[in-house]
Amino acid sequence: MTEDQHAIAPNPPRKALLLHRQLDRVWSDLPGWRGTVCSVNHGTIGLRFMATSFAFFAIGGVLAMLIRAQLATRDGAFLDTQLYNQIFTMHGSIMMFLFAIPMLEGLSMWLLPKILGARDMAFPRLGALGYWCYLFGGIIILSSLLFGVAPDGGWFMYVPLSGKTYSPGINADVWLLGVTFVEISAVAAAVEIIVTILRLRAAGMALTRMPLMGWYMLGTAAMMLVGFPPLILGSILLELERAFDWPFFEVMRGGSPMLWQHLFWLFGHPEVYIIFLPAAGVLSTIIPVFARVPILGYGAIVAAILGLVFLSFGLWVHHMFTVGIPHMALAFFSAASALVAVPTSVQIFAWIGTMWAGRVELRLPMLHVAGFFLTFVMGGLTGVMLAMVPFNWQAHDTHFVVAHLHYVLVGGFVFPILAGITYWMPMISGRFRVRALGETAFWLILVGFHGTFFLMHLTGLLGMPRRIDRYPDNPEWEWLNLISSIGGMVMAMGFALFVLDIAMQWLFGRRSHRNPWRAPTLDWAMALPAPSYNFASLPGPGRDDAGAILPLARGEGLLPGAPRNRREVLVTDAGTGRPSHVAVMPGNTALPIWTAMVLGSFFLLMLAGLYVVTPLAIAAILWAGWQWGGFMGSRADAPAIQAAPGLSLPEHWQVRQTLAYSGTVTLLVADGTLYASLLFGVGFLTVIAPNWPAPVSGLGLGALLTAGAALSVMTVATLAARLAETRRATPSGAGFALAGVLAAGLALVLLGGLAMLLDDPRRHARDALRAVLLGYSVFHGVVALMLGLRSLCDARQGRTGSQRRGAAPVWQLFQTFWLTTSVLSLGVIAVQEIG
Amino acid sequence: MIWVAQMLAGPMLWGGLFSAVYGLHGLGCALDWPDRATPLGPLHPGGMILLWLVGLGLHGLLVALNRAGGSETQRLLVRSGNWVGAVASAVTLLPVIVTSSCG
Repeated sequence: MTEDQHAIAPNPPRKALLLHRQLDRVWSDLPGWRGTVCSVNHGTIGLRFMATSFAFFAIGGVLAMLIRAQLATRDGAFLDTQLYNQIFTMHGSIMMFLFAIPMLEGLSMWLLPKILGARDMAFPRLGALGYWCYLFGGIIILSSLLFGVAPDGGWFMYVPLSGKTYSPGINADVWLLGVTFVEISAVAAAVEIIVTILRLRAAGMALTRMPLMGWYMLGTAAMMLVGFPPLILGSILLELERAFDWPFFEVMRGGSPMLWQHLFWLFGHPEVYIIFLPAAGVLSTIIPVFARVPILGYGAIVAAILGLVFLSFGLWVHHMFTVGIPHMALAFFSAASALVAVPTSVQIFAWIGTMWAGRVELRLPMLHVAGFFLTFVMGGLTGVMLAMVPFNWQAHDTHFVVAHLHYVLVGGFVFPILAGITYWMPMISGRFRVRALGETAFWLILVGFHGTFFLMHLTGLLGMPRRIDRYPDNPEWEWLNLISSIGGMVMAMGFALFVLDIAMQWLFGRRSHRNPWRAPTLDWAMALPAPSYNFASLPGPGRDDAGAILPLARGEGLLPGAPRNRREVLVTDAGTGRPSHVAVMPGNTALPIWTAMVLGSFFLLMLAGLYVVTPLAIAAILWAGWQWGGFMGSRADAPAIQAAPGLSLPEHWQVRQTLAYSGTVTLLVADGTLYASLLFGVGFLTVIAPNWPAPVSGLGLGALLTAGAALSVMTVATLAARLAETRRATPSGAGFALAGVLAAGLALVLLGGLAMLLDDPRRHARDALRAVLLGYSVFHGVVALMLGLRSLCDARQGRTGSQRRGAAPVWQLFQTFWLTTSVLSLGVIAVQEIG
Repeated sequence: MIWVAQMLAGPMLWGGLFSAVYGLHGLGCALDWPDRATPLGPLHPGGMILLWLVGLGLHGLLVALNRAGGSETQRLLVRSGNWVGAVASAVTLLPVIVTSSCG
């Protein structure tokens, strides 16, 4: 279809100031402290994420300085071994989980709607919930350092070191529970980013015309969706082992420590690309602006992103080359690890070609881009070295690996993010920066970084292991370490100056004019600093670049102003960008912070070992979850909204493919990945772990009949959920909803009965896995039951009609997922019994 | 959105082919295939090579039968996706088949 066929007539121009006042009243945060706790606006939440992550970055940096102070001399007495272990573990954990991931989440939340032409992210309350979970989880993790019980088993928490035998305190629990709590925000962000990119792009912006940043974030979010669940599962299993003695990783009872390594690195290696891809998106956005030419090889870069997303899931075992895995795995993962350099190189050459084709203006963001090239390419090359098994065996767990990972992560993430911050600061602050401070900071960071980490290649090749706190018998490492430590202090000064530069810009910079970099992208088609609603009217075909700033401000785009006094966004078709409907977003609310608090109470009770009280926290979580549905649904059909002349669109209550529906499908992909990881665990332990087969099971005919009955009523509930939607306009709709709820409840009771028949999960890993499979089914049953109750309320309270469906479509999705995974789980148990 | 599925087909086939070769390797080791000879050579590597070649053939079909419509960029992305999968299968599975033993 040609662009003309998509053409949308412009709205008549209006007074920009009136539109601004109207929109700002609807979209801005509440004043005072209520704004702090109730904001759900993507601009506010995104900036909070970034600011908080930078604060954690500073804390992680201070810990790094303590490490360098300890290692500056061979007999360092600055820290004792126990504290040193806590500090290097916390440094790695903070940088990975509390800085890098939240920073990219914040950047995407703040930037994506602006660059895609939307007013907000798809799920504003979810974004706010993610932020509060991140903040509370981060505080829990950080507090442990103050109380001397911080995690001390290294940032990848290998078992058996992190098991109860060798880590009897709560140190490891802090990591497992704290990181899992924080990861709620990562999964929430992934869902939000994917749905925002696919459904909230400007009208007419086909996927193939989307700014590259959109592709990068789509790839990143897809990887988060599939990459985080294995770690979440691993953390749950390890916490269950520590808390209740269920032996997933204990060899004597059928477990295997290797299972932890697989689950961790199934997350851990994609994590590197999860961090790198958004940074590469920043580079692909900034470089063409300062080279003054369009990016070279748009299609090749998208293909490279695709290649990276897939290949990155075929690399994880290269972190395990020395643990004694089969030759086959060595060969495959070595080849894949080398191959991944190809799509990375495609991007590097596209960026170099873009600069070559244009005339580069060496402004401050471009200095950081130059820092990226110098640093990341070196890190990539040592990565190819480490992909080769014989070299890997020599360099494993030495400072060479420490140097490599810092070159990759600082080169591939920190420098691009610094470039991005300096590039978008005028949009954040509305001000120009103070001259010279930023350049000085850049040179200090660059020189300090290479002074610190380049020499670690040498100490590593000389045999210095990572994570040691003293090296009294190796005086030849001392001068190299001393220089590294001095470099670290120089780098720290650079970062301090960078923060000062940002603060000075915010406080004292002179007012910036619009689009100071003369960038072509939509994010600059707005006043500075960016208003709470982004666009007074939404971009459409022919008006989706920075040149549309005035027509959009005058209301000539789609959905001008806020005439109905509510937050409205335009939802489009995922592929073509054709307008689909208008979604009404929730306004300011304290629900996200309350929900995060009750979730936090659950994690804190678990941490304190007060397991008897945790049902109270679970009840509070269910209560909070129920409240989220209160905003949804409408008691009457509303007339179509005229988004532009000749373009009338329904409200989201009256369509089936809503944002919530897309979000649920996306969430179930993550959920399904977690379940697949659990099945992987069952298969792995069954085939690989010693001390199998398991003892004879006590399951008999009673269990078989109970399982069959549970599956039967689950099927009834699934059919009832479907009929509740299809018959929603008739009185029988509520009846089917009631039948579905009762069937789901009965299925839960039967699953509870089945749980009573299981063997003691502490006996063997097989029994523990069975308990987890059943627990997974029960959890989803509870969610499905709540959605069923919500649908029943919708039907009883008039929130359904010939067009309005209420929560029924989402209920159906969960109900089908529950049934499918339960059939598989009970099938696995049945096969084990037969075998 | 069909073109997105077409674009993802190559990398998905790579993932599937890896799982299949890995599974066949394990099966062969469990069934003592390395000790069994066929007229064309040992059964174990022979089976894996055959599977790999079938997979490469499927990749070839994906590339050859690419009939994606839409814009120039869509066609380029579908073609690129197909090649990403094909090259990944060729490069990463070759050493597996050539060097793997049951050790």
